[in-house]
Amino acid sequence: MSTENITTTAAISPEQAERIKRVVCEILEIGEDEVTETSLFIEDHEADSLRAIEILASLEKEFGVVIDQAELPKMVNLRGVHLVTADAAGW
Amino acid sequence: MVLTGLGVVSSIGFGPQEFAAGLRAGRSGARPISVFDTTGFEYANGCEVVGFDPTEWLRVTDPADLGRASQFSVAAARMAVRDAGLEESELAGKRGLVSVGTTDGEAVDLEALLETSLNSGSAAMDGQTARRVPATMLSLAIARELGLSNVSAYTIATACSAGNYAIGDGFDAVRSGEVEFALCGGADAMCRKTFAGFYRLGTIAPDCCRPFDADRKGILTGEGAGLLVLESLDSARARGARIYAEVLGYGLNCDAYHQVAPNQESIQRCMRLALEDAGVKPHEVDLISAHGTGTQANDVTETRAIRGLYGDQPPRTISVKSMLGHTMGAASALGAIACALAITHGFIPPTINHRSSDPECEIDCVPNESIEADLRVVQNNGLAFGGNNASLILGKYSEKELVS
Amino acid sequence: MTTEPRLVITAWSAVSPYGIGRESFVDGIASSTSTVTELDQDLWQGPTSRGCLVPGFDIREVLGAKGTRKMDRVTALVVSTVGQLLADGGISTGEDTALVLGSTMGSAQSIMDFTKDVLVRELPYLVDPAKMPNSVMNCAAGACAIWHGLKGPNTTLAGGQAAGLMALDYARRLLIHDRAAKVLVGAAEEYSTERAWLDRHSWPAETPDRVLGEGCAVLLVETADQAALTGGRTPLAEVLATESRVYLEGDPTKVLIACVQSVLARAGVRADEVWAAVPSSVGDRGRLESGVVRSLFGAEVVDRVPTGDVLGDTGAASAALRIAAVLSVAEHSPEAAGRVALVTSADRYGTVACSLLRLADPASS
Repeated sequence: MSTENITTTAAISPEQAERIKRVVCEILEIGEDEVTETSLFIEDHEADSLRAIEILASLEKEFGVVIDQAELPKMVNLRGVHLVTADAAGW
Repeated sequence: MVLTGLGVVSSIGFGPQEFAAGLRAGRSGARPISVFDTTGFEYANGCEVVGFDPTEWLRVTDPADLGRASQFSVAAARMAVRDAGLEESELAGKRGLVSVGTTDGEAVDLEALLETSLNSGSAAMDGQTARRVPATMLSLAIARELGLSNVSAYTIATACSAGNYAIGDGFDAVRSGEVEFALCGGADAMCRKTFAGFYRLGTIAPDCCRPFDADRKGILTGEGAGLLVLESLDSARARGARIYAEVLGYGLNCDAYHQVAPNQESIQRCMRLALEDAGVKPHEVDLISAHGTGTQANDVTETRAIRGLYGDQPPRTISVKSMLGHTMGAASALGAIACALAITHGFIPPTINHRSSDPECEIDCVPNESIEADLRVVQNNGLAFGGNNASLILGKYSEKELVS
Repeated sequence: MTTEPRLVITAWSAVSPYGIGRESFVDGIASSTSTVTELDQDLWQGPTSRGCLVPGFDIREVLGAKGTRKMDRVTALVVSTVGQLLADGGISTGEDTALVLGSTMGSAQSIMDFTKDVLVRELPYLVDPAKMPNSVMNCAAGACAIWHGLKGPNTTLAGGQAAGLMALDYARRLLIHDRAAKVLVGAAEEYSTERAWLDRHSWPAETPDRVLGEGCAVLLVETADQAALTGGRTPLAEVLATESRVYLEGDPTKVLIACVQSVLARAGVRADEVWAAVPSSVGDRGRLESGVVRSLFGAEVVDRVPTGDVLGDTGAASAALRIAAVLSVAEHSPEAAGRVALVTSADRYGTVACSLLRLADPASS
């Protein structure tokens, strides 16, 4: 349940991935072409812990799921977010 | 400028005597929250005020015309005036300042109005509740109750440092001679939206608040009010008043950095401004009453700022939030009162709930047990959302120094 | 207190139903046309269909997309007003610059929007974390400090309709005690659906002609010495005296008169030296206030500057906007040079306040 998981790929559809990316980019105030699966929100995109919680909250609203806040440390990049969201949504 | 009257509404006691006893004993105000419905929260402890009866304190105002925060505010003000040995009629003849700090004002009432609106439509809102809501009521209610017309009365809404802001304002107003007294401090009533907000941010502790502890999990929300009577030394001596402490100075600044996250450099600057204003050198400070919320971010940042200013041997640094929870706008006012009582009675209130010190918080937090100490200069910190920092310096009043 | 330094207003700006920035305000006040409009009922589902709103105030259009995603209306009003003021005067900011902002309670709309999630979502803590700061009353001042780099004292003062005058007095104290070299002082109120409902239920008997307005006015206040030091900044007016009091019974008349007489006495100004007196004159309470001020100074003096009614009931912003109105009229009135103006406020909650200004005389400076 730590770094190995982040390197695996979540079972999500391209459409779901697009929606996640849109949410993340809006919060980070960056273009969708600026973020990659592995670019780090805090180190590469000037996010902070409040932004990270905001991403979590927005995904909950977008997909109608509840994400455990204990998952926050995994949500460091898009790949981590995919895994956590897929897990919460039961995809 | 001296403090001659203290009024306290808190989860560990009412009035300065009970409050001082609670601080000395390291009493905890934590209990399961009952003032709002906690359904849906996995844990919901808080430091609420129990057994408060507004009718004990209100003479001219119908309690239903005031929200809970305003009721606390009036009760603490009336206590402070009484504690100062002043007649309310006597105060009415003097020019004064009434300044009360708050974070949420009457947010409890706003939630009730919203609930009506969601259930029955906005046209069904209750007018009496709506009139309680403007934040200025927290200070106007005091003026009205005590019959004070020749006062400037307003509310300082600088969130969790608002109490210190208000006391500083009172200090300046008395110092320049424009008012003969200031009744200042802070008040807040626990509300669900603030609890939910901190919960969402992952900063509500499941059981209790453990500032500077390696296992600290965050804040407990609290409520209450602390009001202080400030007057000039001449005025206090002329009427033979008991003097708790001298206000030596204060500092204010703004991080201009982040709405929520604290900023070490800016906090350090605020404390430096306060010391300069008070004409005090860092080595003369005997105790710091920290903002000390018990969150990861605050405690590390504040400790580093303290060490940045005071060096490797900083004064003992306590957090009364371990006992009172985070009383928001009342927090730094209650902190200032705790400092004044500590100076008067010669003890240092403990930081309770302490198990193991966080190596990243390199201070002596006076864990769990209060200690006897002769305190000459004490610093009280208040930090807030919006980067609104305020640091207050109190000193022991001694007759001898006046002679020299 | 006689040794206190002289305080002067050296710059100002406003965002109001007349538009964004100082020029639109000066022009609007000169025309003194009413700003009441029919509101878009899809956007504003309040109890009435009319309001005085800042035209075209779309936050993203006014301030850009970056940093405004979760910004509320009152914060945007303050950020843009301060931005206009700083840009107009090429004024630097930093540790020596304070902000003192008068308010009613920040944004009632933001507090209630944030609280709504607690009540309606499946779990009470599923609130929007990024909007938590908006639900705290100091949000606008804190955000404005971040936006414009204001690192001095940053105070939000809740004082109802008189907030702007009490903020001015608070700013004076910061300056005379050397807590800042210059203070941006003003007040702001947004129009919102929730505010409109709260107002309607608070004062159901108010005459229907009281329309809610919004806006923000900010003044740059500093000591005359400091203004002279910086070179380029010419005083527009001197702040002579400000005072506020509380009226304990239902009628503010006696206390208002005492307050006015007190500031005149403190400033050593005779009543017949007052060139303009500007009461709030909005709604029943405003008309009463206006009647008292008229009885003290006469119609000519009261009519010199359009009073608050042209902008609607702008709540906490009212008195600050009326100081801006005084400065606007003075700009086009050569005879105002060196004369005294009085701004008053009798709030419905119990506060009475007034400020006395001496308009600058370019010939003598």
